[in-house]
Amino acid sequence: MSTLSALGATLLRLLHYRTSFVGLLVILGIAVLAVGAPIVAPRGYAVTDPANKLLPPSVEYLFGTDALGRDLFSRIVYGARIALWVGLLVTFIEAAVGVPLGVIAGYYGGTVDKVITAVTDIVWAFPPVVLALGVVTVMGAGLTQVVVAIALTSWPYFTRICRAKVASFADRGFVLAARSIGESDSDIMARYLLPNLIPSIIVVSTLTLPAAILSTTALSFLGFGAQPPTPDWGAILADGASDLSIAPWIGTFPGVFLVITALGFNLLGDGLRDILDPKLRI
Amino acid sequence: MSTPLLAVQGLRTYFSMSEGVVKAVDGVDFNVDENETFCVVGETGCGKSVTALSIMRLIFHPGKIVEGKVIYKGTDLLKLPENEMRNIRGKEIAMIFQNPMRSLNPVFTIGDQISEAPIAHFHSPRKEAWKSAIELISKVRMPDPEIRAKSYPHVLSGGMRQRVMIAMMISCEPSLLIADEPTTSVDVTIQAQIMDLLLDIKKKRKMSMMLITHNFGLVAEMGDRAAVMYCGKVAEIGSVKEIFREPLHPYTRGLLKCLPVGFERKKELEVIPGTLVSPVNPPQGCRFSPRCNLVMGKCKLEEPILTRQGRDHLVACHLYGGK
Amino acid sequence: MEEALLRTHRLTKHFPVKKGTIAKTSYVHAVDDVSLHVNKGETLAIVGESGSGKSTLGLMCLKLIRPTSGEIYLNAIEISKMAERNFKKLRRRMGIVFQDPSASLNPRMTIKQTLTRPLALHGMKNQDEIDSRITEMLERVGLGREHSERYPHELSGGQQQRVAIARAIILNPELVILDEPTSSLDVSVQAQILNLLFRLQKEFHLTYLFISHDLVMVRHVSDRIAVMYLGQIVEVADTDELFDNTIHPYTAALLSAVPIPRPRTGEVDRLIVSGEPPSPIDPPKGCRFHPRCMFAVERCRTEEPELRVTADNHIVACHRAGEIDVSGYTKELWKVIEAA
Repeated sequence: MSTLSALGATLLRLLHYRTSFVGLLVILGIAVLAVGAPIVAPRGYAVTDPANKLLPPSVEYLFGTDALGRDLFSRIVYGARIALWVGLLVTFIEAAVGVPLGVIAGYYGGTVDKVITAVTDIVWAFPPVVLALGVVTVMGAGLTQVVVAIALTSWPYFTRICRAKVASFADRGFVLAARSIGESDSDIMARYLLPNLIPSIIVVSTLTLPAAILSTTALSFLGFGAQPPTPDWGAILADGASDLSIAPWIGTFPGVFLVITALGFNLLGDGLRDILDPKLRI
Repeated sequence: MSTPLLAVQGLRTYFSMSEGVVKAVDGVDFNVDENETFCVVGETGCGKSVTALSIMRLIFHPGKIVEGKVIYKGTDLLKLPENEMRNIRGKEIAMIFQNPMRSLNPVFTIGDQISEAPIAHFHSPRKEAWKSAIELISKVRMPDPEIRAKSYPHVLSGGMRQRVMIAMMISCEPSLLIADEPTTSVDVTIQAQIMDLLLDIKKKRKMSMMLITHNFGLVAEMGDRAAVMYCGKVAEIGSVKEIFREPLHPYTRGLLKCLPVGFERKKELEVIPGTLVSPVNPPQGCRFSPRCNLVMGKCKLEEPILTRQGRDHLVACHLYGGK
Repeated sequence: MEEALLRTHRLTKHFPVKKGTIAKTSYVHAVDDVSLHVNKGETLAIVGESGSGKSTLGLMCLKLIRPTSGEIYLNAIEISKMAERNFKKLRRRMGIVFQDPSASLNPRMTIKQTLTRPLALHGMKNQDEIDSRITEMLERVGLGREHSERYPHELSGGQQQRVAIARAIILNPELVILDEPTSSLDVSVQAQILNLLFRLQKEFHLTYLFISHDLVMVRHVSDRIAVMYLGQIVEVADTDELFDNTIHPYTAALLSAVPIPRPRTGEVDRLIVSGEPPSPIDPPKGCRFHPRCMFAVERCRTEEPELRVTADNHIVACHRAGEIDVSGYTKELWKVIEAA
């Protein structure tokens, strides 16, 4: 169907899946916060005010302040920007690498498939944190470096799904029919196979996105990712960890937001999967 | 005239789907006598499979048998409690399906699966049931029965799996065997073998068979009597000979004319115009009226009911005074 | 003698089946040494059961599967060893229609897009030209302009198959390969599609290679029939000749196994073949049909029979061709039917 009507139809069907719809609303809520950060949190995330440090949540400081007197609410809201941006970027890189490899492996089979599968398996087995450590050692700490590291270990998600789907399509008539009218291999992969993979790619994205957010925040928590004063939720969590007994709100709020965001995506993903591609049920 | 083995009266089975209520079976009546092969024939969506499943009460959500009677040996099956119905299934009425691989459990041996029903229904001791299983395997004309009994479904070909299904289903000597498209997924020569086997079993065990199919060739070969279904209703019932020689219902006539037999080579066949109707919103009056070349005004208003037109021939059509 | 439109010479396809790195690789003998020809304007049917290789043969003719050995001649030009870029301009001379119409159409392309591709691939660039050709084709196959913006899942099986047929003939081919074109359709729809195929054949002077297992239909549709068993041709003859004077026991078994939708006037003696079709991996030695043939003798077990001409246009591969008479089975059967 045309993309817009397909989108509309999917959203309508999503209404039947209540938990997924809730997930969608949650994500939209977080997105609105993130996009509207300058309006919602005019105070900014880097403004320090040592006189007002470690204040508990109040009307003026919705989430309280941290050890440097920074408004936690503003930091969380700007942190949402980072989280979503990071999630999208990582997912995009993973898809850009993983999807073509999967399609090529599934379409050609044989040696090409064997090589790609071997590489995929090796990368798959690699723990992201270890690789991130390696990247950081070489290139120094920073959010960009961490994004690259996570993306480079998680693209196999997409490769596996796409390869399996393409292999199942390759037997189907329409690939054979395309070859019978003289379509080239690259045209078949681009025009025939790829559009049919989009539902699966979307569903996988709703799962890799929160995973990416969680991984990057974990690395930021360890100090490898976002550097101060960047308000990555992981960094805020790290701040909060040291002051947990005296100012528990600093550690609690980023944690809560992380959970809500990840949950939102997962719930949405469940519903989308049922609508778009039930065979992906794990 | 003796009482029929199975009498289906006013059967209605509906499915509640998101697009509406699908009236898969909407008022079906027919009888199956003892010792006969009764064919239910029709195209996709006519409700023939759902009819068979309804008789076996194997209809689950979102489907529901909303009305009707299924009288088997004097008892209305639709009124039985589930535990009593379980006694009927397999022991009195057995069913074989189109795709045998789906019906066979891949992790149990053939012998185990054939023994299952006698152990459940008659509490036969395992050793005895196993021996009977081997006998049944040879009865369905499979070589090396002892070896076969120990093998698993995946090593067998489609034709062999179907034989195993048949063995399973006759293990308790049912009086009625329902076969839902039993040979659609096998080759022609294997189909001939299986049909031959079924007829042989039926004759030897004095069993009745209800054959669900879309293949008129099989109806001609195997059937004593047949019912033609269209859009959830029965259009015509009669002896197979009469249905072929003198089809009364315009749908039956049209369908038989579609079969490329006995015509001049490459001559265009007479087709039924239009397409199959949606069972969600069937047309008012006679379901076939939008496509019928003999349609009258009455047909679009009133649904015709089955009326007798011969000793053993019923038709639901206003051309024959369907009132 | 006029050159046939399509001719295969000793065409063979063996698919490797890996049994593990240490074990010897076995091969599926899908098609073995098949030499056939299709004359311009005729309908040649290839009949056989699963494992006979008929579909593989059809796909090889269109170069969708690469042959293991043998040649294919299209209008006397050898194509099996041609590079794809050279073959591309010849490709348009052949079209193919597959069995399952819903699987053969890209679910994400509208009908119009599906039909545009072959035109665009073979040089048509002007959008107006493309549009008018598509409209013309849709009309020819019994569909309307409103169908062009639809997606395959919005059409019925019959309509989908019509689109597939339109795609197959849109470039004005000479030969159309029909691989079980009506098997997944309802009876009433089958008749409509057959009528369409007849009409198109007359209108566009098409040659059909009709692959099927439905012998009732094949009898109505084809001029000549080739019977395949386990990758080989066992008998070829004109349709009437094949039914009236069947020679090969397998053909007789096949023809007599078909349940014919007409009432019987009397008892029929069928030739029921025993056993299961053997696997095309490592087929039997000698005549491949011998394990199931009730007329098999010692020679059949050891020596492969060759295709020999027995009568006008009638070829058979059977050692006992002149000695046994199986024609009785099919002749009587079809007579019993016809008389009704």
